[in-house]
Amino acid sequence: MSGDQSCTSGELLSRAISGDTAAFGTLVRRHQRSVYSLALRMLADRHQAEDLAQEVFLQLYRSLSRVASEQHLAFWLRRVTMHRAIDRMRREPRYLTTPLAEAGLVAGESADADPILEHRLRGLLEELAPAARAVVILRYQEDLDPVEIGRTLKMPVNTVKSHLKRSLSQLREALTASGAGGGGDRPAPPQPLPSGQRTLV
Amino acid sequence: MNSPISKCIVTLAALAALGARLAVAAPAAPLKLPEFEALAAKASESVNVSLDASLLGLAASFLDPGDPEEAGAKQLIAGLKGIYVRSYTFDKAVPYPAAEVEALRRQLAAPGWQSLVKVRKEKDHTNADIYISVDQGKANGLAIIVSEPREFTVVNIVGAIDLEKLRRLEGRFGVPKVPLPDGDSSGAAPAPAPARP
Amino acid sequence: MSHQDMNRDDDLGLEQRLRAALRPVDPGAGFAGGVMARIATERPGNVRTFRARAAASWGGFALAASVVVALLLAHQQQMRRTEQGLEARRQLIEALRVTGDKLDLASRMVNAPPPAPNSSDSGA
Repeated sequence: MSGDQSCTSGELLSRAISGDTAAFGTLVRRHQRSVYSLALRMLADRHQAEDLAQEVFLQLYRSLSRVASEQHLAFWLRRVTMHRAIDRMRREPRYLTTPLAEAGLVAGESADADPILEHRLRGLLEELAPAARAVVILRYQEDLDPVEIGRTLKMPVNTVKSHLKRSLSQLREALTASGAGGGGDRPAPPQPLPSGQRTLV
Repeated sequence: MNSPISKCIVTLAALAALGARLAVAAPAAPLKLPEFEALAAKASESVNVSLDASLLGLAASFLDPGDPEEAGAKQLIAGLKGIYVRSYTFDKAVPYPAAEVEALRRQLAAPGWQSLVKVRKEKDHTNADIYISVDQGKANGLAIIVSEPREFTVVNIVGAIDLEKLRRLEGRFGVPKVPLPDGDSSGAAPAPAPARP
Repeated sequence: MSHQDMNRDDDLGLEQRLRAALRPVDPGAGFAGGVMARIATERPGNVRTFRARAAASWGGFALAASVVVALLLAHQQQMRRTEQGLEARRQLIEALRVTGDKLDLASRMVNAPPPAPNSSDSGA
């Protein structure tokens, strides 16, 4: 087993900058899952996602000296991946279909996993505009907060929050509409207000 | 599901087509929007946009013609003289800006403006008003006032909306038609199209 | 959990489902090897380190930097206009986004089915 496995990404980064290609290879293996998954959720195509992920790492290799730290590396990879994916999506037809075989449909990892529903959610995500899709993916795959998402996508925080709110609402409505005997749109219940206070209605 | 910008373009086309049936000619001028100082002070987020004709032209020159959405937006704003937005989001309910809204409604009661949509949903504490201004059969102004439990928005769009260009956008880029009520009946609009499977 | 159950999920349930749906997955087994192979193809026989490469180009950078400074001074006005244009574009997109949101809301309100008469559930 290579001694690289026990190194931090920061140490690997320093060694890669110095020309240690084995260290760079370890960095690739360490971050490939995140980069590939971001690309896959954006492009909904395994081959395109692999191609794009490889391009991201190639660009990293060319830009290593500009990556300041381990934290910056993660940020850099996310930002470049999402921007490349959005650029590619704008050149491709808007609506993509994801055959079950390519959708990463895997057996559920937990007792209450619902692969069919998860596949449906991924399909609905494909119908979001590129920017909205990127926001949702960064929020629920990478667990970034709106400020971090805004920095990654160079987007105002308000816009990030708006995309999240609207996308969740649309996903909920679409799932409800497609469910058997669905009750139609149910707007969020308004919060009770103190009596006697005239409010924004 | 489509981006808000695509929906905006399509809905404006539908509204403009509806407004063209109203045979009142009037020039549209920008509404004098209140400052909404009280709302701005309490808002957790706010959007304040004032783009006159020259700024719209400048913005248009930076839109990406290769992006279908931005290209559509560029066409949409080609005939516009201004876009003004005041939108506020709150963490909790705030007093309704009755005086400011009344000042707006007085302006919208002037000749030339017609109320197109007036919806009240008591259960959700949500109101929406849409007004349109028509000149020689062409929509040349739009005003939207929407109040929700924790959001308040005013939009004023000024200028000529080219119906033909906008209608060409309908159905393209996966943009669905957005049904609106018939202008001369009280009732039934077709149900919205179901979400794509 | 069935699709019918999803109708009763709150935001938290939907978010949990989204996290599950967006679980990271691995690329194919040879992915890292493919990246390294492409890197090797890009730099055949070149064994310089990154630092050596940077040092060798420093002199060129210094000359280029002085030229760039001169160009920047000459194009300051153009850059200001570009900033203004990009800011105007950003505001335009934001304005259209808000407008689309509210038009969509109004449309949904208009087209919502009327409430059932003598509905007795608690609602708001």
